[in-house]
Amino acid sequence: MNASARGLASLTWTPAARTRALGLALIALSILIVVGPFIWVLANSFKSPIAILTGAWSFTPTLDNYVDVLSSKRSDFVHALATSFAVAAASTSFVVVIATLAAYSLHRFAWAQWAVRAMLVWTVAFHVIPIITMVGPWYVAFRALGLYDTRTALVLTHVVINLPVALWLMMSFFRAVPPEIEEAAMVDGCHSLAAFWYIVLPLVVPGLVATGVLAFIFSWNEFTIALNLTSQANATVPVVVSKFANDYEVQHGPMAAASILATLPALALMFFGQRFVVQGLTLGAVK
Amino acid sequence: MPTIRRFSATLVAAASLGWLIQSPALAADKPFADVGKQAPLTMLVPATPWLPAFTKMVEQYEAQTGNVVKLDVNPFGGVLDKARNDVHSGGGNYGALFLDTQWTIEMYEGGFVTPFADVDPAFVIPKEVLTYGDSGYWNAQKRWRTANGGKLMGFTVLGNVQMWYYRADVLKQAGLAPPKTWEDVLASCAKIGKPPATYGAVFRAERGNGIRYDWMQWMVERKGTVVKDPENGDFTVTLNSAANKASLDQFIELATKCGPPNPGSIGQGDVIQLMSTGKALQAQLVLAAWSNFEDPKKSAVVGKLEVVPLPKPAGGVAGGVIGNWNYTIEKGASAEQKKAAIAFAKWFLTYDAQYAYARSGGIPNRTDVLTSDLARDPAFRWMSAYAETMKSATQELGYAEGPQVEQILGLRLNQAMIGEMSSAKALNVAAQEIRDVFAKNGRKTAIGPSLPE
Amino acid sequence: MILRDLRDPRGGGIAGATFKYWSVAPAVLVLAALTVLPALALLRMSVSTITFADGREHWAFTPARNVAALASDPGLAATIVNTLLFVVVAVAIEMAAGLALALLVGSLTRGKGVMRTILIVPILVPPVAIGNMFKLMYNYDFGLFNQILVAVGLPAVSWLGSTSLALWSIVLVDVWHWVPFVFLILFAAVEALPVDVMEAAHVDGANRWQMLARIKLPLLKPAIIVALLFRAILAFKAFDEVYLLTGGGPGTSSELVSLHLYRVFFEQNQLGYGALLSVLTIVVVLSLLGAGRRFVVGAGAP
Repeated sequence: MNASARGLASLTWTPAARTRALGLALIALSILIVVGPFIWVLANSFKSPIAILTGAWSFTPTLDNYVDVLSSKRSDFVHALATSFAVAAASTSFVVVIATLAAYSLHRFAWAQWAVRAMLVWTVAFHVIPIITMVGPWYVAFRALGLYDTRTALVLTHVVINLPVALWLMMSFFRAVPPEIEEAAMVDGCHSLAAFWYIVLPLVVPGLVATGVLAFIFSWNEFTIALNLTSQANATVPVVVSKFANDYEVQHGPMAAASILATLPALALMFFGQRFVVQGLTLGAVK
Repeated sequence: MPTIRRFSATLVAAASLGWLIQSPALAADKPFADVGKQAPLTMLVPATPWLPAFTKMVEQYEAQTGNVVKLDVNPFGGVLDKARNDVHSGGGNYGALFLDTQWTIEMYEGGFVTPFADVDPAFVIPKEVLTYGDSGYWNAQKRWRTANGGKLMGFTVLGNVQMWYYRADVLKQAGLAPPKTWEDVLASCAKIGKPPATYGAVFRAERGNGIRYDWMQWMVERKGTVVKDPENGDFTVTLNSAANKASLDQFIELATKCGPPNPGSIGQGDVIQLMSTGKALQAQLVLAAWSNFEDPKKSAVVGKLEVVPLPKPAGGVAGGVIGNWNYTIEKGASAEQKKAAIAFAKWFLTYDAQYAYARSGGIPNRTDVLTSDLARDPAFRWMSAYAETMKSATQELGYAEGPQVEQILGLRLNQAMIGEMSSAKALNVAAQEIRDVFAKNGRKTAIGPSLPE
Repeated sequence: MILRDLRDPRGGGIAGATFKYWSVAPAVLVLAALTVLPALALLRMSVSTITFADGREHWAFTPARNVAALASDPGLAATIVNTLLFVVVAVAIEMAAGLALALLVGSLTRGKGVMRTILIVPILVPPVAIGNMFKLMYNYDFGLFNQILVAVGLPAVSWLGSTSLALWSIVLVDVWHWVPFVFLILFAAVEALPVDVMEAAHVDGANRWQMLARIKLPLLKPAIIVALLFRAILAFKAFDEVYLLTGGGPGTSSELVSLHLYRVFFEQNQLGYGALLSVLTIVVVLSLLGAGRRFVVGAGAP
């Protein structure tokens, strides 16, 4: 930022400065494209339904949509936020730990090639299966186990649907760690578990964070399973939001308000959650 | 006139407000029906514009009887998803299932819902309750929904049908009477519509249920059919008839001449949006959308709309295609849940309950409520048109293959609308595809001579 | 917690010695418990016809009937073409934009955390809301896009109502929605690039493009492949956007395999044929990915 400001001020358009300015302009443009529709949704959340329908630019802001979402008896939005958070946080923690351990083992140790390949192909194949064809068998199984309409059922299924992405991602990050680093640690007498924990893991922190963020988002927005395995008592945010769109009308105002209310806490959580995780892991490494 | 209307609307609002405030006290009043103490009842219900009205009735039922009712509210498709999950694995999560008319056949035929008489042999539907094309009866021998030899499986919680919405102020200013025929509509939309500022009339012609449901209305008005006599097992495809071609041609003509330039992608939400913003001046639309236009937060045309039965082609007959929600009792539910479901049904079908339901924003299913003093109240100015339409309204696609037939029609009619196929070709192709579906399922089927393309 | 007890740098005890095995165990257990049975059920379903009577399911073994249904499915050809177009174009744009953004943001000296947070906003919005919001924006008469076009003197466009445009309007939404996914993965990979290698290359006098082509991209390759793989799979499964925006129309112009499968499996309740479509999708996607892998590995070899 500072460098480019200086570059602009001195008006010396060296090729490097030009590339840099172009880069910043591109970033600014992407922010505009990414955030634009979101701002538009934010604006809609303060409009009356008729102002939304006419696409009005000037409007009298109203909090009706938020009141509707937060006080509506049929949705119980705050409860849904709590459920979504609990399910997403738990399933993310589990899937990151499970996938990281498995990915490291498959990457590092002398597994037979067929075993590694079977694991990777199976996870991808499973990921391709449309969820609507899975929920039937899951419903029967969880009901038999007495887990229908529990957060446990959602956490377990969200772990398994996120496992393929998490496993593959973590393997790719472990692959990017130069083997010499690990070998050096082993030569120093470090046991494989210690090498993993003290040497390799700190090097893949950005990957861990990305994996965790993605798992959290996919769990947060998962709809089909959450709808089918729970009733009103354990409905998640996407299920509640979907009720604002029905056969005869889409309640755009409440839906916009609900989207904002669903997105901002998740955003804040991830922003601070990342820092917390990064700090924790980095501290562990420094020891 | 507007002053009077506003005044009476205020009166109604004040009256209903007073009634709401009083409602806790109603517990002490005489219940609409004495149904005794019942076990807690769970209902699987859809999130719809009439749900708030139904919820109010449930609250009133709880207050009057002390019985508990839990609602599991779901988005439209979610209701079917959850109903199937539950009934396919033995049932027991729900006492009452709300089923869209198209889903009833699957559930009746699969034996997943229970005849009311199996729970309470003495149960009778009051004679004032509309039958909605007998969607609540199942004749297992004929595989057909009919009271004739059929068992009572359900009743209608909300009976939807299409009406003709028009801007009373605009038509009056142009010196036009509400249209009686499609030819009237065509003439009027040329006169009042000023595209792109306003559209004379809009129709729903998007692919799928949209165009299928809207066009079938036109089909029945020319006595057209899709199959010859499904009730008696004759599935000879009659879709590609001259009458059906005429109605499709007229539907396409009006949709393209009166409406926006993209008729093939106009769905229910678009029609409501165009009407409530004042951009569309007339529309073919379901009655359940009515409440959208009378709420000042949602509509720029409050008090300006009227509804009448749909226009007909010159020389056509009156008709309507019903889309209703059916209250059914799950077969796998416990005996107490089933009993509780019957108890609620008895209460909900009383005159008093249906009257209160209408006042809360629901569409009542009793003829005596539709012709009560409410019908003379301007706030309920849709009632007499609705009662009129229901006299000739019917159920369509009442066979197991209904969803497949709907998808075939939904695509081919849409292709005719956007000009990818001629109307004759669309009907010929659809007729062939529908015949194949019936043949695969072992129905007695054939196909009439093709329309010249 | 277990790990904390094992801080002995040389030992590791039983847990350390069996690390190879117990580290994989949870993943294998979860997969075995929750994926095997449903997958087998799907396979069995794909060669059966399931009917319902007397409150029960009745299964019949009918592989020939299901395959015949495939042959006589009229909409399938257009659906496959649309899906391939959709996947190739959307994923290509998303990969290019996501990679460019990751490199750009990675080159910033400050504000990376904020940028990462801002740029992932689209994948956080509930998909059902994305579909309905874009439907409003695409609206012919009132939508934001046409308001802008008309304001600058251009004619209004029928974004969702024109057969030549509908699929691309959905691609646009998909790109907006999913670039953040690619960005997030590749940005993490950029952040993990070994600093010493970068510095060494810089000292050697490599310019920006040489750095990118010879050092960064090869190091990013594993992450690029994973992002591409999962983005492609998700694109094959894209459903909410097309279901909410066009329902596959007008005509068949935006019909995708996922939507077709939903109609067959859910709306028509043809479980057997629907399962067969699902199994075929898996086979086709896996073979495409297999072919793609060979292509990538082949091209990457010196």
